[in-house]
Amino acid sequence: MKQAGVQDALDPSSAVSTSNDDETMAELRTLLLGPAEKQIADVHARLTDPNRQLEEVVHVLPAAISVRSRRDGQLADALAPTVTSAIHESVRKDPQPIADAIFPIIGPAIRKAISAALSGMTQSFNQTLAYSVSVKGLKWRLEALRTGRSFAEVVLLHTLLYRVEQVFLIHRETGLLLQHVSAPGSQMQDADMVSGMLTAIQDFVHDSFSTAKGDELQTLQVGELTVWVERGPLAVLAGVIRGNAPHELREVFQQTLERIHLQFGTALSEFKGDASPFDSTRSLLEDCLQAHYDSQPKASDKPAKLTPLNVIVSLLVIAALVLGFFWLRGRWRWDNFIEQLRNEPGIVVAETGTRDGKYYLSGLRDPLARDPAVLMQEAKVDPNKVLSRWEPFQALTPDFVLARSKRLLNTPNTVKLSLKDGVLNAEGFASHDWVIEARRGSRFLPGVNGFRDDRLLDLNRVEDPLLMFVLDSAELVPGQSEKFDALVHDIERLQAQAEAMQKNVTLEIYGHTDESGTEERNATLAAERAQTVASELQGRLPRWTNVTVRAVASKEQLRNEVTEADRATNRSVTFKVIATDAQ
Amino acid sequence: MIQKKVCMIGSFAVGKTSLVRRFVESIYSDKYHTTVGVKVDKKVVNTPAGEATLLLWDIEGAESEHDLRKSYLRGASGYLLVADGTRSDTLYKALSLQTRAEEAVGTVPFLLLLNKADLTQSWQIQEREMDALRQKSWTVLTTSAKSGQGVEEAFLRLAQSMMEDHNG
Ligand SMILES: Nc1nc2c(ncn2[C@@H]2O[C@H](COP(=O)(O)OP(=O)(O)O)[C@@H](O)[C@H]2O)c(=O)[nH]1
Ligand SMILES: [Mg+2]
Repeated sequence: MKQAGVQDALDPSSAVSTSNDDETMAELRTLLLGPAEKQIADVHARLTDPNRQLEEVVHVLPAAISVRSRRDGQLADALAPTVTSAIHESVRKDPQPIADAIFPIIGPAIRKAISAALSGMTQSFNQTLAYSVSVKGLKWRLEALRTGRSFAEVVLLHTLLYRVEQVFLIHRETGLLLQHVSAPGSQMQDADMVSGMLTAIQDFVHDSFSTAKGDELQTLQVGELTVWVERGPLAVLAGVIRGNAPHELREVFQQTLERIHLQFGTALSEFKGDASPFDSTRSLLEDCLQAHYDSQPKASDKPAKLTPLNVIVSLLVIAALVLGFFWLRGRWRWDNFIEQLRNEPGIVVAETGTRDGKYYLSGLRDPLARDPAVLMQEAKVDPNKVLSRWEPFQALTPDFVLARSKRLLNTPNTVKLSLKDGVLNAEGFASHDWVIEARRGSRFLPGVNGFRDDRLLDLNRVEDPLLMFVLDSAELVPGQSEKFDALVHDIERLQAQAEAMQKNVTLEIYGHTDESGTEERNATLAAERAQTVASELQGRLPRWTNVTVRAVASKEQLRNEVTEADRATNRSVTFKVIATDAQ
Repeated sequence: MIQKKVCMIGSFAVGKTSLVRRFVESIYSDKYHTTVGVKVDKKVVNTPAGEATLLLWDIEGAESEHDLRKSYLRGASGYLLVADGTRSDTLYKALSLQTRAEEAVGTVPFLLLLNKADLTQSWQIQEREMDALRQKSWTVLTTSAKSGQGVEEAFLRLAQSMMEDHNG
């Protein structure tokens, strides 16, 4: 009623009565609020009429959406579940409309994805190939061997601009790990421990160095790795980054952390050690695992392009170097060989050179000279590459004359030959036959003008001393002392020569008999005669170490007995000289 | 899996690092080991109250009340108070460290460990002190990081108390 009263009082049309008052009030109201009254009614209708409200929202909705979307991503976050379930529902009911709707874009999208994948592949293939042949590539290959990574991985690591390898979501208060994601192939540590360590280090830095409140550790550098720390009131986001990440990435980190606070605020503040509510942060964290690679090797790194021409040229250069080396080495060996031939006695090099890719060589060779084939082998010259022609000749240098003489005269080793002024000198001792033969043969030897054998002992003088014995007796026929003296003298010479030539000599003394007498008697007689001479000689000769005397009985008759002279000759002794090398 | 932060508290050289090492890796090094900076180790334990991952914080500078920082203890669900049984002063130090720890994290489970139990010859803690401790109704264990005596039990009992707290 109080209100009515006021209204009445304001009504100009009512002066006295209540009805009059009402009228007056209404009048007054119209006067005062006339223009606004309609608006109020309008506002009232807008607030209460659902149709009107709908109109209003319809009016501002598009603008509101666009403004909010520009401001942050919350609208999308809020809408996402609805939109997702709507799409699910729609597809469940009838897939056709959605299929129709995306039909125009699905083809191009697939094509684009395929071509992007292909170009990425070709690029990395090109890069791998390019790095394969550069010095750097070689270094990386070694690194790959050393670290056990694949070569492609090493290339990627080095062409990497940056890569977020791991992201940790850490509970701020406890330092406990809420969630962890890592890029494929990045090295994993125990994330729980890393989380704790990171928190402890932050605390340490904060407590030790922070000046103003809010100063916090933001970046940690560990070798090639950088750790970025983003801090929220309840959680900390830490990213382990290889390379140099751009600043924009920090914003990605910040937004992610904000989103997590928004969506998981309660879970974060109520966290008591059970991280399972944070499983669903994985996809958010994975958005932070970004990577960027240097697609183009830097100009300075660029290796020579691997064109067929380049390959051929380098192969040719290598081949030329190899061939050149072998050619030079062959040439050098050949020159050495020729030089050696020229210095070789008995060989005269007439002509050398190369023809048709082969060496040729001609000259004279004494058959006594060293074999050029052996020399060639020693000089490591390939005989297949050499054409040689040798004419035999007789070298007249003293060495060759002597060597040839030794050989042609069949010189025994008890004879020493030497050459002086073209005269061949024989020393030592030799059989009678050899002495005769040498005297004769020396006359035909080229380069030999004479033969001297005055210091050569003809063994005949020792071997057949013609000492005769009394019939049926071991006694020498008297009057042979001169002969015996001569024998002793010759044996002394023999001993001297043998000593000079380092020979040991055995003198075998054979006792002989004539045909008369029994066989038994003759055997005894032969032994006694040999013994007689042996004893006699041993009495006359000094004790030499290199001469041994042995008495031997012989059954052999020296000559057929026709006359008494034959028989007398057969009653004798003969010698055999056996020379051996002294040790 | 439930994770729990555990702090090692006690004077210098009482054997905090050695105890963690013993528990985590089951090895013991007689070489003097001064903790440098920070070490957080991890060990999964099974208690009747459930399985838990312990994150064991061992930090240089947890040795005196002045150095014992709030940030170190923050968020800890329990702690091990370590004293060296051959140095009774470390026991008194442990008492004051405990007060400070409780200020920082409130009443959370903890145990008092009298370490180096293998050094019976030079053992200094007497019945009198033990009585005083019992009065406080603390859980006191003797341990040896060297022989391993009581180490496993200490960590397990702490984990058990923390898990009981956790389950309400
Ligand atoms: N005999 C013995 N020595 C120990 C034991 N625990 C630790 N130590 C030794 O005490 C020293 C200090 O140990 P450390 O673990 O570094 O102590 P912290 O400073 O508390 O971390 C080291 O020389 C350890 O070898 C123990 O149980 N028995
Ligand atoms: Mg320590």
